[in-house]
Amino acid sequence: MNRLEVLKLFMVEEKRTKSSLRQLSAVVWSQLKMMLAYKSWLIMDLLSTFASVVMYYFVGMQVDPTRLSQSGWGTSYLAFSLVGVATSNYLWACLTRLSHSIQHEIRGGTLETIAVTPINMFIFFIGLTARGYLVSLIYLVGVFTVGVYGLGAKLSFTPQSLFLFITLFVLMLVSNQALGLVAAGIIMVYKRGDPLVFILAAVNEFLAGVLYPLELLKRFPAVQLLSMLFPYTYALDGMRRVLILGASILDLKVLTDIVVLGVFSIMLVPLGLKTLAWGYNRIRREGTTSSY
Amino acid sequence: MNTAVETENLTKYFKGDGGKERIVAVDHVSLSIREGEFFGLLGPNGAGKTTLIKILCTLVIPDEGTARVAGFDVVKDAEKVRECIGWLHGETGGRALYWRLSARDNLKFYAYLQNIPKDVARRRIDALLEFFELDKDADRLVKDFSTGMKMRVMLARTLLSNAPILLMDEPTVGLDATGAIETRRLLQALCRELHKTIVFTTHNIFEAERLCDRIAVMNKGRVIAVDTPLRLSEITRKYMGVEVRFRGSAEEAVRILEGLRVVKRIISVESEEDHTVIRAEVRDEEQALSEIPKVFSLNGLRTIGVQVALPNLEEVFLSLTDEEK
Ligand SMILES: Nc1ncnc2c1ncn2[C@@H]1O[C@H](COP(=O)(O)OP(=O)(O)OP(=O)(O)O)[C@@H](O)[C@H]1O
Ligand SMILES: [Mg+2]
Repeated sequence: MNRLEVLKLFMVEEKRTKSSLRQLSAVVWSQLKMMLAYKSWLIMDLLSTFASVVMYYFVGMQVDPTRLSQSGWGTSYLAFSLVGVATSNYLWACLTRLSHSIQHEIRGGTLETIAVTPINMFIFFIGLTARGYLVSLIYLVGVFTVGVYGLGAKLSFTPQSLFLFITLFVLMLVSNQALGLVAAGIIMVYKRGDPLVFILAAVNEFLAGVLYPLELLKRFPAVQLLSMLFPYTYALDGMRRVLILGASILDLKVLTDIVVLGVFSIMLVPLGLKTLAWGYNRIRREGTTSSY
Repeated sequence: MNTAVETENLTKYFKGDGGKERIVAVDHVSLSIREGEFFGLLGPNGAGKTTLIKILCTLVIPDEGTARVAGFDVVKDAEKVRECIGWLHGETGGRALYWRLSARDNLKFYAYLQNIPKDVARRRIDALLEFFELDKDADRLVKDFSTGMKMRVMLARTLLSNAPILLMDEPTVGLDATGAIETRRLLQALCRELHKTIVFTTHNIFEAERLCDRIAVMNKGRVIAVDTPLRLSEITRKYMGVEVRFRGSAEEAVRILEGLRVVKRIISVESEEDHTVIRAEVRDEEQALSEIPKVFSLNGLRTIGVQVALPNLEEVFLSLTDEEK
């Protein structure tokens, strides 16, 4: 191929139609393709999923079931922990994935190369979260499958409970992703604080009661109060009521969880979007869209 | 003829280290670049070339003044600007690619972001990969590429969208001699045959001279001269300088040299292991070569050698700044 032949290809103006959907799918496609380039990592992740569920199974055999039933959560610790373990990966994905990915793009210099193309940066940021969501989905399906079919955990999967579960689950994603946007906006500007978000996510995971009934926190009112600041606490409570206890839409506690999550979402989504836009404009003012 | 890039008093401040000092990276720059012009930005490290280019491609928001690219304001109409530009940042040394994607996938990804139809994208990607001699390695991950190969992927990516305005920040950095020549020829052809506007930065005065219709010389954020290469090289040719090596007090030597009529300006004072080297711009080389050793020995300084010194870029820039004052 010589210069003239290359030139010829550029002589014709092609027609372009801007399609945000095509751009978004390109971002998701590239993210997944890069993820698959780390094959060993993927296999490790799947193995550890399996290992952790089996571990909870054995932990569950040691746990005194009366403690659990006194708190009103039935008698199976496996079922109890399963709901937490299956969904907590999404908590991490929502809170940490975007800020982490953006940092990565800034350090690699690729954020700038995207920012000079006609893609809307929000579309790009949405695409960056896709990978976390997908991995978490594999994890969720894996954990439930191993737990329910492999180890015999009893969960209620009726159409109604599934519908309620999905409702609570989506609200959990929306409210926590909004928090993730806030984190991303701030970290984009200050370039540090990534570990802080990880600590926050870990504290959140712990306080929301992924592995124990929140009723145990009664002895520490301050801690219990703190746990009520996190959307995940309500989501987990609701999802457990639905899947373990088979609670219906008429259950006042489930309804409360849904309403609280809704309020969280309505408040946090605008805040998240504003913070992200603020962060992105700020780094363009400071000239820190890349850092080598 | 239409204007492709126009800036008016464009200014950008950055916070310095520690946040106290303010750096003026781009200082009231007013430029007008015509459509189809090959325009060079030349200047020493830290002159503000990259910052200026980044403002033009909407990556950096300016503090004062305005800039229009293809008729669109870079702040208010940033998205429109992005549809008309291709940008390359050679200084990144090939880092600004997705290392975990193959060369082809990198290009494919950008083609989608640029809304290029699928078949057009495929043909162009194949052609560019072949032109940049990457066709054999097209499906290998970029992380295993050499710096020059990465640079070529970046070049292909910049050209892919067929943008009318190309903002090329050091496009030949990291390329071997033939690669650099081929790239220059391609850029030249894109400009001459396809009437693309090319704004490019370089430290290489010869590269700039050969390619550009006009060159803007930048120093400390300011554009100190805009002219054709011919006119600028006349200034370079007028430059005369010498280099003196001696033993003895450096302060004393500087004082003496500053007192000589033939010396125009001291450029640099550097101490080597057991002697000192002073470079100076002079009014007459012959006269300086004979006069300096004499005056030095009268003052007890031992001259080791005096010779004519070819100007480096910085000296030419300084000379230009001086004339401007
Ligand atoms: N994000 C930033 N924050 C603070 N200072 C910056 C930033 N970017 C650039 N600068 C400063 O602005 C000035 C201009 O830098 P710029 O990178 O534009 O120069 P340049 O002409 O491209 O230099 P080079 O030839 O080394 O590439 C320098 O003093 C630099 O230190
Ligand atoms: Mg630069």
